[in-house]
Amino acid sequence: MSLLIRRFVPTKTCNVVLKQNEPAIVVISRRKLSIVPSMYDGERDPAPKFFSSYVQKLLKRLTRPDFSKVFRKRTNSGVPVLKTPTYKFLTSDELELEFSKARLKADKLLQMPPVVKVHQKIDEVLSQDPALVGYDTAKYLFTDITFGVANEHRLIIERDPDGFLRSCDHDVRKRLNQVYFPLKGRSIKEPLMFSDSEKFNNLLDREKYEFVLDRACVQYEPDEPNYQRVTSITYQHIDMNKKYDLLRSTRHFGPLAFYLTWHQSMDSLMLELLQSGAVREAVLLAALRYAIHSDIANGDVAHALTEEIFPSPVQLSKPEQLSEADIDLDNKCIEFVQKYIVSNSSMKSQQELALQGFREYYQQLVELSRGLQKAHGKV
Amino acid sequence: MSKLLSLGKVLIKPMNVVFRPNNFTPNLQVTLSTSSVHNVNFFNKLPAEKLWKSVTSVSNAGAKKGRGKGTGRIRIRDLNRGQMIGVGKINMLWPGLSAPVIRGRELLKQQRLPDDPERMEKLIKLRDSMTRFRRLRLNPIERGWSGSKMPGRSIGPPDPIGEDEFTGFDTKVLQLRSILIMKGSLGRTRNYQAMVVTGNGQGLAGFGLGKSKEAPAALRKAKNRAGQKLMHFEIYDGHTIFHDFYTAFGRTKIFVQKRNEGYGLKCHRAIKEICQAIGIKNLRAKVEGPINIQHIVKAFFIGLLQQRTHKQLAEEKKLHLVEYKAENEYYPKLVASPSVVRTKEEIPKNETLDFVQYVMNDKLILRKKKFPRFYETMPHYQIFLKKYEKYRNHEKIRLNLKVEHGDIKSFLTDKYPEPKEQEA
Repeated sequence: MSLLIRRFVPTKTCNVVLKQNEPAIVVISRRKLSIVPSMYDGERDPAPKFFSSYVQKLLKRLTRPDFSKVFRKRTNSGVPVLKTPTYKFLTSDELELEFSKARLKADKLLQMPPVVKVHQKIDEVLSQDPALVGYDTAKYLFTDITFGVANEHRLIIERDPDGFLRSCDHDVRKRLNQVYFPLKGRSIKEPLMFSDSEKFNNLLDREKYEFVLDRACVQYEPDEPNYQRVTSITYQHIDMNKKYDLLRSTRHFGPLAFYLTWHQSMDSLMLELLQSGAVREAVLLAALRYAIHSDIANGDVAHALTEEIFPSPVQLSKPEQLSEADIDLDNKCIEFVQKYIVSNSSMKSQQELALQGFREYYQQLVELSRGLQKAHGKV
Repeated sequence: MSKLLSLGKVLIKPMNVVFRPNNFTPNLQVTLSTSSVHNVNFFNKLPAEKLWKSVTSVSNAGAKKGRGKGTGRIRIRDLNRGQMIGVGKINMLWPGLSAPVIRGRELLKQQRLPDDPERMEKLIKLRDSMTRFRRLRLNPIERGWSGSKMPGRSIGPPDPIGEDEFTGFDTKVLQLRSILIMKGSLGRTRNYQAMVVTGNGQGLAGFGLGKSKEAPAALRKAKNRAGQKLMHFEIYDGHTIFHDFYTAFGRTKIFVQKRNEGYGLKCHRAIKEICQAIGIKNLRAKVEGPINIQHIVKAFFIGLLQQRTHKQLAEEKKLHLVEYKAENEYYPKLVASPSVVRTKEEIPKNETLDFVQYVMNDKLILRKKKFPRFYETMPHYQIFLKKYEKYRNHEKIRLNLKVEHGDIKSFLTDKYPEPKEQEA
């Protein structure tokens, strides 16, 4: 084990601690819109719910992955001219293999940032040596830089001028980890776009949600209070402006849906789903609420219904023709959503109206597709 | 003092007396007389035209040797330019000629004004400016490949035929040259030959060759002929060709390569003009062999015509054609499918399946090995690399400090400021 010693002037570390607490206070006081960030810091831990396979399935399906958006051009990655495309002649089998590889890649690209509880302060005294009091004016930091140790399990301790040997807190750990094992894209100092509330609000007003969330993933750990502050303000901003479509087909839609459901404010998302005619996804959202809070009247039906929905293909646009199985499933979904609105919704009248509109549209579609079937003599 | 002044007057007077007869030139006296004088100056005898000819003309033999051209050539100057009637060497005021007769209430009188010393200098300057050759100035937008020459310049759409107009078309001159031809009766005569390309930037283009006695007529003929020979080319994704290809005309060979958006046209200027006429925006082409413009144009058009679309390629191969783009994370995009797809067993072992090799008709481009630059093998280059290794990230650090602190300083600058430079 190799140990590296860093001397820290005590006043400097004091600054660091202050700086980390500062922005959180500033943001709350200065904001005009006054979105109050709500973190996962209560009694309940969201991680077991979030990581359960059923909830993951629900969230991935709610993301509505459209491959043309998942694999879209994002940056030129520092190259001034795009690379020349390559071509291949493939047989049908090879093509199917390529598509299945692409689906795996899409799964990787859509892997959701974890939703976990905010970490606790580390306050662990390892030893107390009164003989060392006043030995030096500086603080000594010891880091175990053995290769292959995960950053969160790395041994980082400090010897204070008052003779205490204690484990470092999260902010010091993060700085030292970044010094010895830098992560690409993460800076030691918090970027201005997060620490300066004016710049942060400007980004939100320009609807650069994905950029903010992507950078937050690089800059912070998921259990940091700052990460949860930034993401929660962003999610609330999206929810207020109903810009869910900007996050669809990205890895951030799952955590957004989870956040809204966890904080019991998913009804405007539900309304948007009903207005856009995605009644199956509305069922999934209600099922998500049941999985997290178990507070839906007809929750016991939800699991069976979602299991029916999962095998059906993702509806990227409104269907033009319907099969009898589709009609059957959709009718079940409409019934389920109707019950949900009556018993649990907080936006009853609006959702009622949206569902009614969808019903009328759907009725026409059913008649049209049945008429077509009849005209083709297939009934 | 007064004595001195008077002495000066005395000194001047006799001089005036002495020089006055010389001011009246003998010629003036002669012109007044009716009898002719033989010793007259030819400057007065001959007209300006003949005098200038005697200075500027070159003998027939000299002209054949190329004398009287280029630098040192004497040009005719218009000596009347910048001169006005009534204004001359002696600055006189002539009422009714160089000045009004009545100014205010005063009747002006003929009088001598103080001499203008700069008048002659101005005239000489003006005359000197006529000696230099003045190039035709063109607006930068209208310029072609080189100066005011025609190649590369736009000459507008072809003339309408009946009521059919060539809307959206533009013609670019690729070549304009004079050629000498022998005629039975006239001997050697000069002809002009022009090659142009016309196109609408949306797939339609054609080239034409015109010959005439005059350059404008040759250009017009070529332009109208190009308008008659339009060809249609499909453009992939609205910006490039379908695949790499090799094409040749005579001994001129062209290797054309497909490129992604943002690459631009990196090729011979004639090929660039053709691409712009067709509407191709990204491509790389390398010309090998003779760079005869007519051959290049013909070879490139042949190559474009011989292109196969993705649908055709898929049908030929009876296989799916899939595109992979780096910017789309190499997502397999199906660009063309044949009506019948072969299975793996039906493909013979020696068939070329590599796309580039197939579209190049199994022709391999010789890619020469890149040698290290001459300085890279020298010892000083190693020293340079070692010396500058520590500066390799400074640019990024400076930028980051500017972002963080608004200036090139760190959190330590306030505590330990930089020592101020002492003024020398």
